[in-house]
Amino acid sequence: MASLNLTADELLVEMLPPERLVSVTRWADDPDMSNVAGRVPAGAVRLPRADLERLIALRPDLVIVSEYTDADFLRLLEKSGLRHHRMTGLETLPGIRAAILDLGRAVAAETAAARLVARYDAVLAELTRRLAGAPRPRVLYWADPHTAGAATAIGSLVEAAGGTNVARELGLRGIVPLAGERAFGADPDTFLVTQGSGASTALRAHPLLSRTRAVREGRVVEMPNRLLVALSDRAADAAWWLASRLHPSRVPEAAPPPMLP
Amino acid sequence: MSERDRRRLVFATLAVALPLALLAALSLGSVPLAAGGVLRSAFARLGLGGPSPLPEMGEVILWSVRFPRVLIAALVGGGLAVVGASLQSLFRNPLADAGLLGVGPGAALGAVLAVNLGWAHERFLAMPLAACAGALLALLLIYAIAHAGGRPTLSGLLLTGLAVSALAAAGTSVLLVATEEFRVRTVLFWLAGGLEGRGYEHLALAAAFVLPGALGLLLLARPLDVLSLGEEEAAALSLPVHGVRILVFGLCALVAGPVTAVAGAVPFVGLIAPHALRALVGPLSRRLLPASFLAGAVLVVVADIAARSFGEYVELPLGSVTAFVGAPYFLLALRGQEGRG
Repeated sequence: MASLNLTADELLVEMLPPERLVSVTRWADDPDMSNVAGRVPAGAVRLPRADLERLIALRPDLVIVSEYTDADFLRLLEKSGLRHHRMTGLETLPGIRAAILDLGRAVAAETAAARLVARYDAVLAELTRRLAGAPRPRVLYWADPHTAGAATAIGSLVEAAGGTNVARELGLRGIVPLAGERAFGADPDTFLVTQGSGASTALRAHPLLSRTRAVREGRVVEMPNRLLVALSDRAADAAWWLASRLHPSRVPEAAPPPMLP
Repeated sequence: MSERDRRRLVFATLAVALPLALLAALSLGSVPLAAGGVLRSAFARLGLGGPSPLPEMGEVILWSVRFPRVLIAALVGGGLAVVGASLQSLFRNPLADAGLLGVGPGAALGAVLAVNLGWAHERFLAMPLAACAGALLALLLIYAIAHAGGRPTLSGLLLTGLAVSALAAAGTSVLLVATEEFRVRTVLFWLAGGLEGRGYEHLALAAAFVLPGALGLLLLARPLDVLSLGEEEAAALSLPVHGVRILVFGLCALVAGPVTAVAGAVPFVGLIAPHALRALVGPLSRRLLPASFLAGAVLVVVADIAARSFGEYVELPLGSVTAFVGAPYFLLALRGQEGRG
């Protein structure tokens, strides 16, 4: 199996015996980006980019591509005799669950996929139980000038963590730009930004957004990138992490227990 | 050396350089293939000699990935150079090239639209076809607007092209801002120019327009030479100036549009190749156009090798490679022209 996206890297490391993983992306070893850094089999080639020639030389049975891989590249993969599996629906938490099971079927690792999904479901169910009846803070994801509206993994993450996605309230869909004035007018309770991206400092220096209640009162949550962009089974851990920041009295900061059925 | 001998030497050099550049481009890449093996594999495909010495994996890389890519590079370079040479004669300016036509921004608008609507990720060839449609629509718009008040002058045509280009560029910016972050990466790679992931279908798309378009321009070599004397002189020689001008403009756009659709922006090729060759083979289009085609093809094939070989982590955009070479050349040529002026 050859992976051309970080989500597949994370899932395949969990699902497959080391010898079945032919290649991963170069981000798989990056602790800032990857949730499996340090656990990727040494024998798997780290592909620096989607290099078709190197893929052909590796002769994988299946290449895992993302929803955004363009159709022309996929046609060339097919013409080179390589089969591919496209991961789709990763913009919602139920979609991620379905994609894990789908990938498990594609790589003939149904049992491992079911095990991951069981834990994923258990973490999210426990989160739902703990957050029942809690007031939902209004959260705005901010990556100047982009935000995450409806039909985004980040938006789903905010909702699963017991927040209300302000960008969705504003009628936005997808990762789209948002004017500073509109963000100011929305008056979120909390800003969500990427840790280490400088976004938090930029918010405090922003001529308008620095005056929002959330920034003035210090409610800016800096989330580690590897959790914020997790579209694998680790999305449940990401929801738990965010919930522990939004609802510290209900959700402990520690990572969720394995909760295996 | 006489002028005739020099011309022969230039053509002979180009005729040898192109196959050598093609062979190098077929051999070099992420997985190197021996040049001898590539040649023997080609002979084997033609039914000459013994079986190919390349392993099955090498055969797949060579014939599924590299061969169409390298031929597209040659067509892109050849097409852009012929367009540049023709426009330089038409505008009587040695620094003119396909950028004057307005097809680039039109193609970019089409490509960004295809990405924004998700077609590029779902449908095969959606992006190049949308880019091609954008380029041709921009051309039609330029033609319609320029002719709204009667027959336009050359400068009128040029200024209309600039205005339509600005409009298309503005539309592209609006769409880019409204496009999802992940999708934008696809179009950014295309806008920067490159041939990664191009196959036989892209080759067919480019060849269907570039070869007949370039041939059409070559058939117009004599009228082009007459036009390069000046419009009044051409009219005095009974040349249908307006008709020829529109025909040349249309053929140039017909070549440049699909080339941009397949390869993105590959600047300066149409400027460097004919500009450098004019001094060597003379200004007559019947010699300059074919020589430019060969030189443009060599230039882009070599530039693509450089783009592929730049580093392990990233393939350099083809357009950046040609710009790194072309921009200094352009500035030198400009200085030279000003010095003569």
